[in-house]
Amino acid sequence: MQNFSRRDFLKIAGVSSSGLILGGCGVPIFADVVGAVTEPMNQKLEELLLKPDTPVPEFAASQIEPGKLIVNTFGFTPVIDPAKFRLIIDGEVNQPLSLSLNEIYKLPLTSMIIRHVCVEGWAAIVQWGGVRLRDLIQLAQPKPEVQYVYFQSADRYSESWDLRSCLHPQTLMAYQMNGEPLPVQNGAPLRLASPIKLGYKQSKWVTRITLVSKLGRSRGYWEDQGYEWFAGL
Amino acid sequence: MELKVLPKQAILAKTFHWINVVSLFVMLTSGLQIYNANPVFGGRAGIPIPPIFTLGGWLAGGRDWHFAGMGIFSLNLLWYGIYVIVSRRWKHRFVGGNDIKALQTGKNPKRKYYAWHRVAYTAIVPILLLAILSGIGMYKPAQFPWIVDLFGDWQALRIVHFSSVPTVIGFAIVHSFLALKVGGSRLIDSMFW
Repeated sequence: MQNFSRRDFLKIAGVSSSGLILGGCGVPIFADVVGAVTEPMNQKLEELLLKPDTPVPEFAASQIEPGKLIVNTFGFTPVIDPAKFRLIIDGEVNQPLSLSLNEIYKLPLTSMIIRHVCVEGWAAIVQWGGVRLRDLIQLAQPKPEVQYVYFQSADRYSESWDLRSCLHPQTLMAYQMNGEPLPVQNGAPLRLASPIKLGYKQSKWVTRITLVSKLGRSRGYWEDQGYEWFAGL
Repeated sequence: MELKVLPKQAILAKTFHWINVVSLFVMLTSGLQIYNANPVFGGRAGIPIPPIFTLGGWLAGGRDWHFAGMGIFSLNLLWYGIYVIVSRRWKHRFVGGNDIKALQTGKNPKRKYYAWHRVAYTAIVPILLLAILSGIGMYKPAQFPWIVDLFGDWQALRIVHFSSVPTVIGFAIVHSFLALKVGGSRLIDSMFW
């Protein structure tokens, strides 16, 4: 789930119209410095804590909280024709792919009930169903030097992940939510869903997955503005 | 109490106290910045904290400060805990049976203030540890799901973690008042300088 929209962004700061720019007793430039100093350590700790093969404990169906999942979108909600949809998997791979939805639906379905945690502080227990990202990555036969994965969305949102988190057994390209087909506002036809990353890492409306050995200058919509890149849970 | 000599504080106690005061200030103000992204009470409809009390400018900046502060705050508490045990300060510098006795049966009001003073600064230690535990639960819920379960659910965890803010502010007021009552400005000076 992407982070709050521009409108919400301004609304949250609304108590003082200058809140986000001048920001109380701390101006953002200090935060940039603090982030530059501490984020590498924070990321090291997060990478250390990540257990790439261990599933996160799941919840019972009775614990799902459909009302708590807030729809956050940075821009607009794209309309995608399911018949024309293609998921492109490319980059440093031996077998670039262009998959239709029916081809994706034929791959093994994984269902999980996990806690979706937003950077804003709220969380919701959600059921996601879809194909494991690692199955898709395997189909594309990545070259050995691949370390990172970029996700492009139809609304021009972008994200990048570390490969280890992408290969986690609960990192899904989801097309079901809470037992129903994934709603458009939640990212239909295909979105990222995972219990090991903050919500803004979990791109909706994903159309292109690119495997690379090096991160580019842009590391994601929110990351480029100062959010943590690893954002592990 | 009129003290003839300036009370002496161990340099390590002073060091701990300074780092604790500064890092707690950073944790509180950056925590309130994070709070405003989605108020614990009321969510998006909740009342945000006025920006004058927040640090970081926006959510990502608040998180940067919070993560920077948490390491310093936690490590400071850790080394001080080891120091208190190794130096055996825990035996005579924290609340003990004699303080409880003074509060129950004592007649000397100054001794009672001193006992309350020791009760207060001893009681804040487990509260600070609870803030760290609940914070780890929110920071890494997928790696430490048992911490979230310990508090019940996510909202309960958020409330407990947030309650550190009023608790620490209340403690700072009571602690300063009791220190003044016990040793006047000389005692306070001795802890800072």
